[in-house]
Amino acid sequence: MIDHQIVIRAACLVLVASLLPATLMAHGGVVEEDDLCIIKVNYLRAHFKIYQPRVSGHEQFCEDLPVASESVFVMEYQHDSLSFMPIDFRIIRDVTGKGRFARIEDVDEIADIDAATVFYRPASLEPDVYTVLHEFAEEGDFIGIVSATHPDTNKIYAAVFPFEVGFTGWGYWPFIIGLLIIIQVQYLLMSGRLKRWFGAASVLACCLVLSPGVAEAEDLVVTYSTPDGPVEINRMHSWVLHVATAEGEPVTGAEIEVDGGMPAHNHGLPTRPRITHEIGDGDYQLDGVRFHMGGYWEIVVSVTTDAGTETIVIPLTL
Amino acid sequence: MTSDRLRISAAVAVAAILVAIWFLRDVEPAPWSDAEIALLRSLWLENLPELVPDPTNAVADNPRAAAFGQQLFLDTRLSANGAVSCATCHQPARRFTDGLPKGRAIGQSRRNTPSIVGTAYSPWLYWDGRRDSQWAQALSPLEDPAEHGSDRRRVLELVASDENYRSTYEQLFGALPDLSAAGDIDSAFANIGKAIAAFERTVLPADSRFDQYVAAVVAGENESLKTLFSDDEVRGLRLFIDEANCMQCHNGPLFTNNEFHNTGVLSALGEVPDIGRAGGLPDVMQDPFNCRGEFNDVATRRCPELDFARSGPELIGAVRTPSLRNLDGTAPYMHKGQIETLAGVLEHYNDAPDAMIGHNEAEPLGLSARELRQLEAFLGTLTAPYRTQFESM
Repeated sequence: MIDHQIVIRAACLVLVASLLPATLMAHGGVVEEDDLCIIKVNYLRAHFKIYQPRVSGHEQFCEDLPVASESVFVMEYQHDSLSFMPIDFRIIRDVTGKGRFARIEDVDEIADIDAATVFYRPASLEPDVYTVLHEFAEEGDFIGIVSATHPDTNKIYAAVFPFEVGFTGWGYWPFIIGLLIIIQVQYLLMSGRLKRWFGAASVLACCLVLSPGVAEAEDLVVTYSTPDGPVEINRMHSWVLHVATAEGEPVTGAEIEVDGGMPAHNHGLPTRPRITHEIGDGDYQLDGVRFHMGGYWEIVVSVTTDAGTETIVIPLTL
Repeated sequence: MTSDRLRISAAVAVAAILVAIWFLRDVEPAPWSDAEIALLRSLWLENLPELVPDPTNAVADNPRAAAFGQQLFLDTRLSANGAVSCATCHQPARRFTDGLPKGRAIGQSRRNTPSIVGTAYSPWLYWDGRRDSQWAQALSPLEDPAEHGSDRRRVLELVASDENYRSTYEQLFGALPDLSAAGDIDSAFANIGKAIAAFERTVLPADSRFDQYVAAVVAGENESLKTLFSDDEVRGLRLFIDEANCMQCHNGPLFTNNEFHNTGVLSALGEVPDIGRAGGLPDVMQDPFNCRGEFNDVATRRCPELDFARSGPELIGAVRTPSLRNLDGTAPYMHKGQIETLAGVLEHYNDAPDAMIGHNEAEPLGLSARELRQLEAFLGTLTAPYRTQFESM
């Protein structure tokens, strides 16, 4: 059975942006709330974007495409489940006559869907990101259909998005934009997201103010030594972490997890270091440490003892 | 009145031109600070550490194996059509690349042909790191339908049928297995890769004009500096080590950290974006010829690279940083040869557009066209012949 729900929520800002000159197109991609173009496959969400590399390079489109050309459709999952679900992707000519307002029910009524199909990629598992490429031979109205099959229940979730290739005129765009802005604002108000955003912003501000003190406020002190020589980039190191209480008593039998990265570059370590054994007397062997560029790094050490978990940040400039 | 006005505006115009000339005049680049000299030293070939032994390959540093490996590297009989050797794509005269967007052997390979110079230093091979040693890498093209298009049995049959190859093989590795039986030949196949790797290990970069320049800086030979580098090259180098952020990835004497980065390069035309390391990591983990496999010549199979390899969404669309030594003659650039010129590559990094998949780690640089030209001029100073013990190449 097909669970009918869906549609792409092309957020209004993207629609507005798509009408502006290409140079004004701006798109985040780092912070989730900036991902304006979202495809919702039932409760599953993915960041959705379309490129036409031959004619417009890195410019992103949400639904409508300016010309009939080679087009790359990208879905970046925001929900891990999609990594485990076979996804199939179909593009049909809009034979429903409903244009932008076509829904899954309309698609279901199409007698011979294969005859209308211009592109079909059978179900496949794409664990990281879903991409397909289709070269449109002609301009016109199309409908994209994405279906994902739940591996356990075999339930099929589908998303339908009507779009236009080669759109030119303004037509009823201003009306739609106005409507979408109203819907979007209403949605934000009703979902409480506006409030959440403001909440998040204030929490972030607090963190920024408080963060310099975090390492010092801890009860545990973590120090490290590098028995295999000074820390240098592009070489794997083994460290010895020493965990002690503020009074200098060694902490034994702790569970320690290590991660880290470069806050300024928004990326983690190139490896996944971990404690390979406890040496004793508060010393722990940490293997697999590597840094792949100079600059400011933070090693984040989470120490779990009977008293709970504490996180200590070791700053390091290479 | 009118003539007064004219005179004033003429004076203003002249002043403006003079100010512009003053700003645009070629000021001699400032001398290097101690901090900058430390960065220059870190890129100096003189500081390339001694190649560490590769215990997974017992013949890694055996000169006879290297000579055998060189013969195999150049031998087209290893391919299904008798026309393809390793050197078809890794052409010694082109710094072991082929000048094509994507390699072309029996068919077309998936990505741009990377150079093999200095790859002995990399924990990972291929753009996506899907192999973890030179010898494991050397095996894949032999059986890739788009490259040599052969298989392990046919490769070993050739070695067995060539008297010279056979005796060399047996001196190095012992008797060849019985190829007429259906028995296990994987270990003998691995040996072929190990011989090729023994040769590839000897292919290393040589001193470039940049290295001579750093030597002069370190020795304080200020007079020879001017003959070694033009002002533009000096400015380009200064941008390289500072404002242009190049050293975030292109660091160390090989100008690469050998790690995986997404830099938002446009997908190759006619293809979906390349997932890069996100695909390479599971691949290397499953490779029977990887460090953990039974063909590793060390029984203990200590494999820190595999043990501590990082997974996660950062790997989507990330490919291995290539060395910047010898960019001259290795165009087109990037993992699919998407960008034809160095100027185009620099423009790409200057813009740092959002990645089509994953997240572009690079940030826009905001450099001027002039600065980009200076960077390009500097990169030209990294050109140098490679070195190997084999004269005949």
